[in-house]
Amino acid sequence: MAIVQPKSIKYRIWATHALVCLFLLAILFPLFMVVMISFREGNFATNVSDSIFGLFFPGFDSLTLDHWRLALGMSYIDPNGKEVLPPFPVLRWLWNSIYISVVTAAFIVVLSTTSAYAFARLNFSGKSLILDCMLVFQMFPAVLALVAIYALFDNIGSYIPALGLNSHGGLILSYMGGIALHIWTIKGYFETIDASLEEAAAIDGATPWQAFRLVLLPLSVPILAVVFILAFIGTITEVPVASILLTDNVNDYTLAVGSQQYMASQDKKWGDFAAAAVMSGLPITVVFLLAQHWLVGGLTAGGVKG
Amino acid sequence: MAEVTLTNVLKNYKLGVLKDTLRNINLDIKDGEFIVFVGPSGCGKSTLLRMVAGLEDITGGELKIDGVYMNDIPPVERGVGMVFQSYALYPHMDVRENMAFGLKLKKFDKDTIEKRVAHASKILGLEALMDRKPKALSGGQRQRVAIGRSIVQQPNVFLFDEPLSNLDAALRVKMRIEIAKLHKELNATIIYVTHDQVEAMTLADRIAVLSPLKDSAETNLEQFGSPLELYHNPCNKFVAGFIGSPKMNFLKGQLIEIGEERCRVKLNTGDVVTACVDARRANVGDKVELGIRPEHLVPVDHPDAENRLSGVVQVAEHLGAESFVYMDVDGEDFTVKAASEIPVDTGDSLEVGIPAKACYLFDHEEKAFRRTSKYNRS
Repeated sequence: MAIVQPKSIKYRIWATHALVCLFLLAILFPLFMVVMISFREGNFATNVSDSIFGLFFPGFDSLTLDHWRLALGMSYIDPNGKEVLPPFPVLRWLWNSIYISVVTAAFIVVLSTTSAYAFARLNFSGKSLILDCMLVFQMFPAVLALVAIYALFDNIGSYIPALGLNSHGGLILSYMGGIALHIWTIKGYFETIDASLEEAAAIDGATPWQAFRLVLLPLSVPILAVVFILAFIGTITEVPVASILLTDNVNDYTLAVGSQQYMASQDKKWGDFAAAAVMSGLPITVVFLLAQHWLVGGLTAGGVKG
Repeated sequence: MAEVTLTNVLKNYKLGVLKDTLRNINLDIKDGEFIVFVGPSGCGKSTLLRMVAGLEDITGGELKIDGVYMNDIPPVERGVGMVFQSYALYPHMDVRENMAFGLKLKKFDKDTIEKRVAHASKILGLEALMDRKPKALSGGQRQRVAIGRSIVQQPNVFLFDEPLSNLDAALRVKMRIEIAKLHKELNATIIYVTHDQVEAMTLADRIAVLSPLKDSAETNLEQFGSPLELYHNPCNKFVAGFIGSPKMNFLKGQLIEIGEERCRVKLNTGDVVTACVDARRANVGDKVELGIRPEHLVPVDHPDAENRLSGVVQVAEHLGAESFVYMDVDGEDFTVKAASEIPVDTGDSLEVGIPAKACYLFDHEEKAFRRTSKYNRS
């Protein structure tokens, strides 16, 4: 920064750093604890005699890969010599989660991009009313509509079983309803792109679709990446809707729904749960790392006089 | 190359709700002509251009390019090329791709595309920049790419929408000359929108002066003619005030004598001025307005100084080659442009000479009386 700063600013920067570090610790501590629990012998139970340190690191001799074996679908031999079989198809759940989230996010990007284009560039009656309504309705959480969603998909299923209850198709369809905020996000981005670019394309002989695909879309990659990530994270961590639409077949569960199975009322398997939980974080991380490549600024620089 | 004809063109963004933007625009643009639309902001000049391009609907009237009715034809089939004020280059494509984009859409073969892009880049001196993205170009270079993009399409009519208004002053002069050269080279019909009257005067074969539409007015096309015609014979006060820099001075008065060649006007200041104007269509005693261009005023000892007028100097600007003196004449602003230095300062009183041949006269409806001679200060 070129501005001359008073000396006290140094201490303030130092204090800010300290505060940020503290904040990061507060965020990372539970995550670190879950990771440690997944490597800890038996079920996690806090012991009063444990020091704070012992709370998440009980010592090298109590480290074990048992929980991870079960999560990855392998069995292990317990101290009594009995073989413990994996109780749930965790890998299957993980796969369900990933593919449902990828398909949902992809559909959401396609739907919300095209709708956002219409809202940003076309003139039709009722445009602002529809936009406002979408925003307002989106403010009610999906949980409020659980009963309705259940009844709707029960009904749809009697006509099209692939989109009914206990089908992944039905779940994906229900997630499609939540695109209003994404439409707003993308619409806002489209409006920052000068409309004269598309007019120039029209004079060059592009149809509206070509102008959209060849000029507007390539410039919108960053916002599409953001929407994809948000939709992916939203879907992979979603529990309420998935838990009422997928009930019959344990193999159909998503990881978010399935991991609740470890929490039977008399038998909370914290260790297995932690291993599954850590695993569910992996795909999000991978998607984020991949998408980061597209999160670049300045794509539209130079096109029009700024 | 093509002729462009506009007949009774009307534009209204929401018929019955909003007021008209353009009304009764009649223009007959010849093949190869350089036409400039000029007017203050809000007069609809860009709208008119966009209507020719096909980016805006034509509410009423008729647009013909080369005799073909074009009202309902999409832009690409009108054979027009357009250069936008904001350049509107595709930021994700390099210069070559920007220029080739339209040709690729039209499925030209590779050789033709390459040949045309090479030709256009040679005309515009862009050869060294072909692989750069727009963000790596300067303003003038971007503008040239935008022009190149329309050249490769080989349009019948080039449309320029304030192409130089985003450039700095020096570059603007340079690009203005390049556009004039380009017009000679391509021999194309060009319609050019600007609010800069220097651009209009220097580039145009003919200028169309537009004004913001008044409710009662029949049209907002004030005058359509060659630059010098607009300068010497403006048809009304609006055109007279708009063309010429600094702006024409106006003084209110009353006709006291009318003749075939000359008339006499008693100004509200009390001075009586003789003007070389044929005012026979008016009557003695009618209210009129006298117009005098700042550059036509002469020193009182000049042989042309048939009339005299005095005022109080507000500000004097000395630019070396010329001087501007801003005076107050009986409560009216009055500008004098002198070829040499005038030794005056704020608060001084200054008397200037007004040649009778340099006077313009407008009636109470602001319509001009016919001038019987031209004046050039020697």
